[in-house]
Amino acid sequence: MSAVISGQAARIPEGEVADPILKARGVVKRFPGVLALNNIQLELRRGEVHALCGENGAGKSTLMKVVTGQLQPDEGEVTYKGQPVHFDTLQDSEAAGITMIHQELNLVPHLTVAENIFLAREPKKGWFVDRKKMEADAQIFLDRLKVNIKASDLVLSLSVARQQMVEIAKALSLNAEVLIMDEPTSALTESEIDQLFAIIHELKRQGVAIAYISHRLQELGRIVDRVTVMRDGGYVWTKPFDEVTVDDIVAAMVGRSLEQQFPERVSTPTDELIFEVRNLSGVRNCRNVNFTLRRGEILGFAGLMGAGRTETARAIFGADPKTGGEVLLEGEEITIASPVDAIKAGIAYLAEDRKLNGLSVKMTVKENITMANIEAVVRHGLIDKAAEAQAARQSIAKLGIKTPSIDQVVRNLSGGNQQKVVIGKWLFRESRVLFFDEPTRGIDVGAKFAIYQLLDQLASEGIGVVMITSELPEILGMTDRVVVFHEGEVSGILETRKTDQEEIMQYASGVKRMSL
Amino acid sequence: MASLDSAIAHEKRSIDRKAIIQKFAALAGLVLLVIAFSLTSGAFLTMSNVVTIALQTSTIAFIGIGATVTIITAGIDLSLGSVLALAGVVAAMAAQMGVPVPLAFLIGVATGGVCGVFNGLVITRLKLPPFIATLGMMMIARGVALQITGARPVSGLPSSFGTLGNDSLWRVLTETANGFPKIVFPGIPYPVILMAVLAIIMAVVLRKTPFGRHLYSIGSNEEAARLSGVKITKVKIGAYVLSGLMAGVAGIVLMSRLVTGQPNEGVAYELDAIAAAVIGGTSLAGGVGTISGTIIGAFIIGILRNGLNMNGVSSFTQMIIIGLVIIGTVWIDQLRNRR
Ligand SMILES: Nc1ncnc2c1ncn2[C@@H]1O[C@H](COP(=O)(O)OP(=O)(O)OP(=O)(O)O)[C@@H](O)[C@H]1O
Ligand SMILES: [Mg+2]
Repeated sequence: MSAVISGQAARIPEGEVADPILKARGVVKRFPGVLALNNIQLELRRGEVHALCGENGAGKSTLMKVVTGQLQPDEGEVTYKGQPVHFDTLQDSEAAGITMIHQELNLVPHLTVAENIFLAREPKKGWFVDRKKMEADAQIFLDRLKVNIKASDLVLSLSVARQQMVEIAKALSLNAEVLIMDEPTSALTESEIDQLFAIIHELKRQGVAIAYISHRLQELGRIVDRVTVMRDGGYVWTKPFDEVTVDDIVAAMVGRSLEQQFPERVSTPTDELIFEVRNLSGVRNCRNVNFTLRRGEILGFAGLMGAGRTETARAIFGADPKTGGEVLLEGEEITIASPVDAIKAGIAYLAEDRKLNGLSVKMTVKENITMANIEAVVRHGLIDKAAEAQAARQSIAKLGIKTPSIDQVVRNLSGGNQQKVVIGKWLFRESRVLFFDEPTRGIDVGAKFAIYQLLDQLASEGIGVVMITSELPEILGMTDRVVVFHEGEVSGILETRKTDQEEIMQYASGVKRMSL
Repeated sequence: MASLDSAIAHEKRSIDRKAIIQKFAALAGLVLLVIAFSLTSGAFLTMSNVVTIALQTSTIAFIGIGATVTIITAGIDLSLGSVLALAGVVAAMAAQMGVPVPLAFLIGVATGGVCGVFNGLVITRLKLPPFIATLGMMMIARGVALQITGARPVSGLPSSFGTLGNDSLWRVLTETANGFPKIVFPGIPYPVILMAVLAIIMAVVLRKTPFGRHLYSIGSNEEAARLSGVKITKVKIGAYVLSGLMAGVAGIVLMSRLVTGQPNEGVAYELDAIAAAVIGGTSLAGGVGTISGTIIGAFIIGILRNGLNMNGVSSFTQMIIIGLVIIGTVWIDQLRNRR
């Protein structure tokens, strides 16, 4: 295994039109009750970054799984380097030079970073794994990404963002000629995205063809050469990025044009305090946190990855132990020792990592939606099937969850639709304060708008809404005040109207600090 | 919207159909077995043999249900066979000391429940893996059963101790010309009735109660369940108590059939129980499993044993065949689920 990324792939001189390395034509894929791909075409050229855009459930991930042999198409053909190909497994396509970074990360938590990167192709010394070489090689790829991760770290000790970086390092180590990235940036911070884009530019120069799936359309301009838009499993068009605007893409994705990114706020903050946290400390990355939440207001939590926003919310919710401090709900102090207590008191926490903490992917849409409030559909000690179905259908309609039925297993939904199921679960329970941790991660533009409207509506109903997000435009567009975190502490609380991206970043990076 | 509704209706039908086909596949295997054995042995499909099969299967079914409940939570209960023995000898000793038989039976079943509480506490409070906790209990319960009986069978029991295991409902007898009773209909043995009743109750508990739903959600994703307010500790203890109670039921039924308390009874029965659950579609990874599947699995094992016996297949060969069946059915199940 060569430890350098250097060009196995052919270098393409600037300006020359590259030939397609990977082509899909007339691809059809059916699942029970779903036509996931309907006569799709796609053409990837060497040295291009090709964006794939479409709403949640449009079929983007499915198409990539077909191309990489994880799913077999019902119709259509895939050609690679001019030859029709048929990959039976992901390993086959990897061996041929096609690598995919999955939307749902695929790392083994109990192994080290190096072991994950070289899983099933460990460097050997005789019969044994050559640990030293493996860790040294892995470290080279990690260092290229300029991330502060040690090859000997256990994956389970890393944040989602860092795990994402490990996936990328793994792809680099495979010397891929075609690299598929399914929402690689959804869990990354601005500076991590900058590093990723630098790497993408370099790979592009080396002639690697990159398929790039993202719902963060604003960032496409920085790397993308061409765009293909899909809608409802069908092909809409492929165009050079220079010739279109983000609005064009959105219009093609949803079949109509969306005027604004954020809805007009209906809720207005009052002076009445509904929730207050005093001197809260937790066991992990949460020290002496103070903030208040007023009725009708949407409060934002901003900060860099690892700043302690999630840890603070988890400590409040009782998911992690607290070491000190008070939590007051509508003026009264409450004790929360576990999520059960929190939920009973009317506090909900929508976890950031849906696969790990949010969903039971083996269970159905219906069962997930009622999970936090099963009592609501129980009659005489038994679950009332009709009432439960009704509740599930209402959530599906309200959030526009795309699923063939309420009895679909959640694992079979597209990533964005899984996220909507998590939101549905917490909306099915009436709460007094809701913490939304990265609620729009992996969600398409149209659905994001719907979720913003929903947050606003909750706030206007007098429910306390806290939105934890790494997207500063969301903070600026939706919140009334923002609590900025830095290294486990609150570094500032700002009026959203009177601040801007730059000032928030100064507090987030610790350059500025309020005395609170 | 209309097209969406019709799509939903269509999908609902196709999902229902899929579930039915899956059940049907296991049932079809069962039917095939029955056909094969009735062709190879004339005595197989007689009324009395059918009753025997049902009787033999009931023991596997009781502990199979217990195994299903714990496996759904992504756990396991290896103590089923030993707890069965302990519960049975405790009931027998109680009856021997003059405790009324129904009460003795209740004490036996309760003993199984106590073992379950112990398992549950070790798993949730000491946070030991279920495999280890119940492995410990497997030895403890067996040791206690041998210790309190001095490793000797508990005999000299009142004859009513044997009623549960040996009598039947609706047995029809006529008197022949020379005065001997002749069995017209052997009746339905009480253990079989008990199996049906408990299976239905447990199926309702799993499918329809919040507790049952929580079992599945813990097995599917424990952390998500915890963050959704599921009381993990209580539910898990509940699962092991149920498992222990089912082992207790199996214990009193079995000892009643023998009309003695046998401390050596039930060795390795937990493996049959786990096999029945797995053949019936329960996933050892947790979150998946049904009582109906386990009952079908129990019957597949029961019929295989009985039919192979009738065909004079040695018990060693039987073990080989049952082992292959376990591997085969689970493999087919995975193939079905793959696409
Ligand atoms: N294994 C499966 N079984 C059944 N249906 C599936 C399966 N995988 C995907 N689908 C369905 O196919 C459709 C396309 O899903 P896909 O994951 O490709 O969407 P996507 O464009 O990647 O969406 P997102 O942006 O939310 O990730 C969805 O309706 C989804 O529910
Ligand atoms: Mg996707």
